[in-house]
Amino acid sequence: MSIEKIADKVIETDVLIIGGGIAGCPTAVKAADHGLKVTLVEKAKPERSGSAGQGIDHYGIFPREGVTKQELIRRWEAYQSLLNGEGRFGDPNLVYKYYDSAFWALEELESQGITMRWDDGEYYWMPHGRYGGADRIMLRVHWQNVKPEMAKAVRERDVDILERTMVVDLLTNNGSVVGATAVNTRTGEFIVIKAKATIVATGLFARCYNPETPLFWKYKFRYHWCPATVSGDGWGMAYRAGAELACMDITGWHFRARDDLTISYGNFNLNEGIAGKFLTWKGKEFGFPNAGRYAELEEKGNAPLYQTLQHLPDDYHKRMEVAYVDERLVSFKVAEDRRFNPKTHYFELMPNKPHNFMTAAGISIDEDCKASLKGLYSVGDCSAGWHSCGHAVVTGLIVGENVDTYVNMADEPVVDEAQVESQKLTALAPLSVKDGTEPMELECAIRYVCERYVGQFKSEGKLREGLRRLGSLRREFLPKLMAKNPHYLMRCLEVRNIMDLAEVYINACLERKETRGNHIRLDYPDRDPSRDSMLTYQRMEKGKPVLDIRPVPELKPENAKEGN
Amino acid sequence: MPAKIDYKKCIGCQTCYDICPIDVFTWDEETDMPKVAYEEECWHCGICWMECPKRAIDITFPASFW
Repeated sequence: MSIEKIADKVIETDVLIIGGGIAGCPTAVKAADHGLKVTLVEKAKPERSGSAGQGIDHYGIFPREGVTKQELIRRWEAYQSLLNGEGRFGDPNLVYKYYDSAFWALEELESQGITMRWDDGEYYWMPHGRYGGADRIMLRVHWQNVKPEMAKAVRERDVDILERTMVVDLLTNNGSVVGATAVNTRTGEFIVIKAKATIVATGLFARCYNPETPLFWKYKFRYHWCPATVSGDGWGMAYRAGAELACMDITGWHFRARDDLTISYGNFNLNEGIAGKFLTWKGKEFGFPNAGRYAELEEKGNAPLYQTLQHLPDDYHKRMEVAYVDERLVSFKVAEDRRFNPKTHYFELMPNKPHNFMTAAGISIDEDCKASLKGLYSVGDCSAGWHSCGHAVVTGLIVGENVDTYVNMADEPVVDEAQVESQKLTALAPLSVKDGTEPMELECAIRYVCERYVGQFKSEGKLREGLRRLGSLRREFLPKLMAKNPHYLMRCLEVRNIMDLAEVYINACLERKETRGNHIRLDYPDRDPSRDSMLTYQRMEKGKPVLDIRPVPELKPENAKEGN
Repeated sequence: MPAKIDYKKCIGCQTCYDICPIDVFTWDEETDMPKVAYEEECWHCGICWMECPKRAIDITFPASFW
């Protein structure tokens, strides 16, 4: 049977971009400006999709005012160590490239029509408190409408946008990625996209843990990420295709403010460079703790722990209000409905758990954002080593700028029919299952496994039991997933990604037999010096999981030279 | 119900149906109006609420948020 007969639609393109968020949109614009045929696949609609859908209040970090790129790399590594312990957790050359491209990316964004300046025509540089520096190196932006602006730039170009479409899996041929299959989640249409280059831009992963609010059947995560973004679609598809994931044992750890809801009350102060006060319930002040310190405070009866902003002056609160407008308009409604005053409120800091993978994990990439498979790139939060909107834009622009070199020398993509057929079966099978399992039921079961058997305080027995339970969930329930309509096909495919990544996650945790930073193994309470600056890399090879432990690359001499 | 449509105010412009990041809305062909079809998936991001040109959408937060 030919591909045309298997698929409802076959698209041939130079560049396939998966995900139309804050990384995917600038990539599409840049690649289209190089004269390439670009196809953008988006689960929702680029105007309001992804982590930046509700808006953003700050952008980027720039080497300026005497702060060198090398100093910024040191600060980035110090921040990583604050969370993850001793050693280094990502390729510093990538970080160098990010800072080196920061001003170029700023110009590019402005030329794409993105508002970077305030009404008076000037940039507003704000101090960046998060890394301990007070230098004015970060842009404060009014970006409530950054996604509509980015989407407009894409639509002004000749980019083929497939909305409400979810990628099933990547297509491979002799170790190269040659496109992907996708399904329209409103019509059920099955689509084959042949592409010379494929760029994954789907964001982070978090949905193997419970949401922050006690509604376990619901989607609700920290304030940054839309649930459609954190299902780990890009990581799942890359891993199944044979690409390498890095640092899946390193989950970020941060507070979850109980009253935070979708918003950043109590977190914005970090971005404005002024610290809120952390208090125990008895009113005793304490410093910003990591996972171990938090547990210690709680064990000694100091919980609940609070953060408050009430000591700050009025003009500061006014600045905060503008930040809410820029990043989370809905926060005003939250405070109003709940009848609390953010100025005087005590925001409870919730017990710790590893709820996301935001500090180091993702698709392993080289300095050109190429993944370990030929023809595959990863930009934005998808990539290992760095996660932020500034990074998303820069990596997107770098790939958009250079992908034509690869496309021009790549062969015509040849797609394997058997592979397309099996992916079609995977995608559409739940439509014909009756009396099966609803995707949310299985998702809750996976989340329960991670909550119970992985969590913050890990040990070999629990991890192995978790792995066993995941295995039986996979065997018993994955084939029984049912979808009443094409909308639920999206949820079924998400659950498949969540399940695959939960397994990769547990395997990585099992292999790290030590305690370091927020990776706490009760059975190995000490740091293993032989794992200093050694990262975990995982991939699928001939259907079997392979785990590699390799050192973090060193900063190249030319990048390490102060002032370069 | 998380997102609630006030049909007295709704003009059927399709904005909410178009932009919801989770695809919580479907289109009711009979009434030519949007419908909250997958309310259990709503995460209260407020995008429909902020984009609705007629302020016809209200967001209700669940009890456990309090």
